Amino acid sequence: MTSTFFGCALIGVLFTLSACSPAADAPATPVAQAPSTDGIVNGDLISYPASDYHEEEPGKRGGTLRVTTAADTGTFDVHAISHGNVQWLGRVLYDCLVYQDEEGRVSPWLAKSWEVSEDGRTYTFHLREGVTFSDGEKFNAQAVKINLEHMRDPATKSPLAAAYIAPYDQGRVIDEYTFQATLREPYSPFLDVLAQSWLGMISPKQILEAPKSIAEHPVGSGPFVLQSYTRDQGAVFTRRPGYDWSPPVTRHRGEAYLDRIELSFVPEAMIRFTSLQAGQSDLTLDAPPQNAKAIRASTDLTLRSRIRKGNPFRSLTFNVEKAPFDDVRVRRAVAKGIDREGLAWIIGFGEYRVKADFLAANTRYYDPTYKDVLAYDVKAANASLDDAGWTERDAQGYRTRNGERLGATLLATESASFSSSVAVAIQADLKKLGFELRIELLPLAQVTDRRYAGNFQVMGGGYWHTNTPDGLYILYHSDSITSEKRIGQNGGRFRDAELDRLLAAARRSHDPARLERLYSKAQQRLAEQVPVVPSFESHVLVAYSNRLAGVIFDTSHNTVFLPSLWLQTEAK
Amino acid sequence: MNTALRKVLWRLLAGIGVLWGAATLTFLAINLSAGDPALAILGGPESMPTPEMIVRVRAEYGLDQPLIVQYGHYIARLAQGDLGESYRLRIPVTRAIGAQIGATVQLSICAALIAVILSVISAITTAKRSPWVRSLVSGSELVLSSAPSFVIGILLLLVFAFHWHVLPPSGSGSWQSLILPTLALALPIAAVLTQVLRQELEDILDQPFIAMARARGMSETGVRLRHALRHALVPLVTLAGFVFASLLGGAVVVELLFSRQGIGRLMLDAANAKDVPMVLGITLLAAAIYVAVNLVVDLVNHWIDPRVKPA
Repeated sequence: MTSTFFGCALIGVLFTLSACSPAADAPATPVAQAPSTDGIVNGDLISYPASDYHEEEPGKRGGTLRVTTAADTGTFDVHAISHGNVQWLGRVLYDCLVYQDEEGRVSPWLAKSWEVSEDGRTYTFHLREGVTFSDGEKFNAQAVKINLEHMRDPATKSPLAAAYIAPYDQGRVIDEYTFQATLREPYSPFLDVLAQSWLGMISPKQILEAPKSIAEHPVGSGPFVLQSYTRDQGAVFTRRPGYDWSPPVTRHRGEAYLDRIELSFVPEAMIRFTSLQAGQSDLTLDAPPQNAKAIRASTDLTLRSRIRKGNPFRSLTFNVEKAPFDDVRVRRAVAKGIDREGLAWIIGFGEYRVKADFLAANTRYYDPTYKDVLAYDVKAANASLDDAGWTERDAQGYRTRNGERLGATLLATESASFSSSVAVAIQADLKKLGFELRIELLPLAQVTDRRYAGNFQVMGGGYWHTNTPDGLYILYHSDSITSEKRIGQNGGRFRDAELDRLLAAARRSHDPARLERLYSKAQQRLAEQVPVVPSFESHVLVAYSNRLAGVIFDTSHNTVFLPSLWLQTEAK
Repeated sequence: MNTALRKVLWRLLAGIGVLWGAATLTFLAINLSAGDPALAILGGPESMPTPEMIVRVRAEYGLDQPLIVQYGHYIARLAQGDLGESYRLRIPVTRAIGAQIGATVQLSICAALIAVILSVISAITTAKRSPWVRSLVSGSELVLSSAPSFVIGILLLLVFAFHWHVLPPSGSGSWQSLILPTLALALPIAAVLTQVLRQELEDILDQPFIAMARARGMSETGVRLRHALRHALVPLVTLAGFVFASLLGGAVVVELLFSRQGIGRLMLDAANAKDVPMVLGITLLAAAIYVAVNLVVDLVNHWIDPRVKPA
């Protein structure tokens, strides 16, 4: 979430102030070093040990966990929002039909098994029996149907869940525990997206009788129930007695271990860190990168840094319909002329992995072959601009062509992942190439409007997290360009017939070998066509007290899977 | 009809006019600034609403109608006390405000009281004292009144919450958690009020009637408390009223810093999300508080010094 000018300036100052002490012992100039991300770094691939995703041994029951997070989602109706906190919050209150396994394949949860028809349009789910919602309602085929309807019902105003199941046409209750979904067209990411927290199952009774009450009094089938909620302050969740349907992948049996989870919304980063340090909280789901070094140095605390699947952070998105970025040589030159290490340091204080390709390193079918095509290389960047005909220089040292100066205006809004210092760093890098970057920082609402209208030359920031490589379709397929009727995430209006073909074919295929080929080619095409400049991975940074045990991560979102946590000793 | 009563009624009527003006200006400002409300309703930049949904939202919220029609509907609903439903929270604005207002009012009243008490004590004890006491006190006042609340807040947090661990750094549940935010808000205001009050006191202490009181053998404390203070209070109350109303703005900063619930945070989030009904609702609330406080200030001043006529 970003801010108005006032909010920006304010938070900017707070951020700077609170960042003072850790920044002081950081080296003055960024040094190239591999950030200490969790997981096994094998060359360019990152994999996480299977033990990060399942319980090694049962935990001890009891206790209250005190958790801090930066923001309140505002509503608990996960179908109706796109807030990032839903990634871990959803697992506390709700269950999904399926869950991904350690390798990113789809595995059972509330659906025991499923079949996909030959034409890829009919999905038949065999549901688990004996699952109930906390209001006593049964989970069955009818419940699934009502949930899918609720997601796409325009009255829900779903910004995300509805789009993820957009090809869903109709549902059929075959018998109490068999549900059949028919799609308008083949859409292989269907199962993956059903594993995401935004698509959790809500009580069908509540959806039918009091859909508005979901916002503040949600009823799910999950391992905890909401006991109390105070807006912008916190929420208390209590263990649901009788819960016994965790995703099999997690190897968790029975009810959650914790009696209670006390969640506090703490917007100020410094306070999340200090209250953890002072033992006033046990876990922060938004660990401040500027304190990461101090947390790592502490003997009482643990820091975990994980990568979100999907599409990494972008430093720039080019509007390919506007000069000078209608020329791929200029796009390539700019992409190769930006020092990502520097940008990653400004935002991540050495915690973020730089990234020059288009899929997060732990996304299924990520292909590291093209990772260096857009690597930082000033010489190559200059050569590419020469090649594009920008060979003259004017008095200020900027490149010109036919008397016209090479440059563009960067449209951006200040946010935690794209600060004005990032914009200035990019400006300085590009100046070295003889490219004049002018910076226009505006409030978010105005930037959003101009982005959808295509009224910009180049835009700063952004990322898209999803648990499948289909995120590429969402960002770069020409169907995702905003038009009169559609809001899409392809903000740069990138249009490439070859890429469209590859991504559409991937949506039709269920064959892993074919998908691997298609997505590899798509990644190659993107590296050649440069619709955006990837900058660093999207990180999940969490920190917790060492008395916290059973920390495992969600296979879709790589956030902490709260239901398996337990406390080693009671709080002092 | 009694003139005083008529004046109060007149003021109430003028207050309604002020509210209507505030409602109109805010409505125009937020609608003319860029940003499609349909997008705000559908989740902002990180969302992919379907075409049906956009059409539905435009119709449901009347966004497909001309602005003047939207304005008419808005004022009509407002007259019935209906502030509409928040785009972001999907609950009635009145309910959202109702749940948050208590915390902000509690904080503002505490801060205003502390500020007034501190300023009265400090002004009475330091007016016309030896030069080094005065320069020490007015020096710290200058620092406090020019430092923004969040700087003072961070210093308070560092000392009391993180170094000594005597007070909680965040929350709005307990009375302990109220202390630091109250001080962060109150100290800069107390500094300003002290400066004004001391100036008044010093002028008054030079007046002949003070010399008279002293000549009657009254103690210095008695002179200051019974005679000088009463005369110096009118400008203080006026200023304190203004300050109390402006505390709502200061609350944004302090609520964020101390992770307190409240109107300030609600407003900030609403402005960021272009949550039109919520922004309008809170603006109207703030305008209503200004009107009410002004009325109260006039009445209180009239009571302190009957020569001051309610305007």
